[in-house]
Amino acid sequence: MTAKDMISIMFNLTVLYLIGGLILAGVYAKTSPIMYQNELKEKQEALKEVMPRADEMIKLGEWAPHHKHAEYFEGVKGAEKLGYVVQGFGKGYSSYINLFVAVDKDFVVRNVKILHHAETPGLGDEIMNESFTDQFKGKTLDHLVVVKRETDKDIQAITGATISSRAVTEGVREGVRMIMEKMSGEVKE
Amino acid sequence: MIKQRSNWELIKNGIFGENTIFRMAISLCPSIAVTTGIRNAFYMGIAVIFVQVMVNVSVSAIRKIIHPRIRIPIFMLIIAGWVSVIDMTMAAFARPAYKEIGLYIQLIVAFASIFARAEVFASKNKMTSSAMDGLGMGIGFLVALVLIGFFRELLGKGALWGMPIIHSKPMLIMIMPTGGFFAVGFLMAFFNWIDIRFFGGKGASGV
Repeated sequence: MTAKDMISIMFNLTVLYLIGGLILAGVYAKTSPIMYQNELKEKQEALKEVMPRADEMIKLGEWAPHHKHAEYFEGVKGAEKLGYVVQGFGKGYSSYINLFVAVDKDFVVRNVKILHHAETPGLGDEIMNESFTDQFKGKTLDHLVVVKRETDKDIQAITGATISSRAVTEGVREGVRMIMEKMSGEVKE
Repeated sequence: MIKQRSNWELIKNGIFGENTIFRMAISLCPSIAVTTGIRNAFYMGIAVIFVQVMVNVSVSAIRKIIHPRIRIPIFMLIIAGWVSVIDMTMAAFARPAYKEIGLYIQLIVAFASIFARAEVFASKNKMTSSAMDGLGMGIGFLVALVLIGFFRELLGKGALWGMPIIHSKPMLIMIMPTGGFFAVGFLMAFFNWIDIRFFGGKGASGV
């Protein structure tokens, strides 16, 4: 390799990386505010969806399931306290499943909503279906376990997606346990 | 050297003659991974068309100035750049679709088909021909994905584009990767049969 080759290669790479970097920076500058807005909006909508009766969600604090940033909220309607919404994470087959769980004042699960996941399309992503998430409604902490047969008492795993089903259940269970521990003093009064 | 072909011939070549999946049998990994439903397959195909055309045009534009010894890393850079562009654009403007196939969009970087066209075609041809070749290859890929997705979703979920059609118990195996290989294999065989029976060709494996 001659000196001429080396200079030519250096020149090629420098110029192309510069152009590539500029294009990416331009696209990122245009799209990132929209991405951020989208995520924020989705989170707000999800909060409304899991506790439709509440007119206001008050952020109570933050916690860190699986070392991830998560928040929890209290839903109020006028002066009445309706319950809590906790953001939880469960370790799934190919991703961490990010979800909201809404509980009432007695810590009975009222609603579960999956915010984000990257499970196998066609199998793991069945956790988004209401037929799965509706199972959580009315369950207490003791019954937040996955079984592989037909059941009404516990959570029934999705065929072909046991790990994803367990991950959702784990995320919900840890969220409920956390809020119970944090709030039990306050609620009993 | 390949003789000069018209734009239409180039597009047709991508869809039929050298169809990425059914004739060349490359990029089979995404053809299994994203074809559990027509919708995912369709969005993926659109993203691939964009990346393939942009990569071909960029590679063709710089084909005379790049040093031959570093052409492979430069192709990689170009592909990665355009994939990031479509990735960010979809995340911002096509949020529902992105939520489903975002994971695979980033994997376009590693698609053999895109790399192969940059090396085999775009680095030796004019920009317009390269764009047409990219378009043809992309459309061929999209058609192949949607076809595979059609059979897998219909048989595996009893649905099309997310709409339930068959209400009996679906064949779960068609949704699993195994079913993807079945679908690709049978479709490939079918197109080979058409080629041999009606056009007197040799089929994809005869080359």
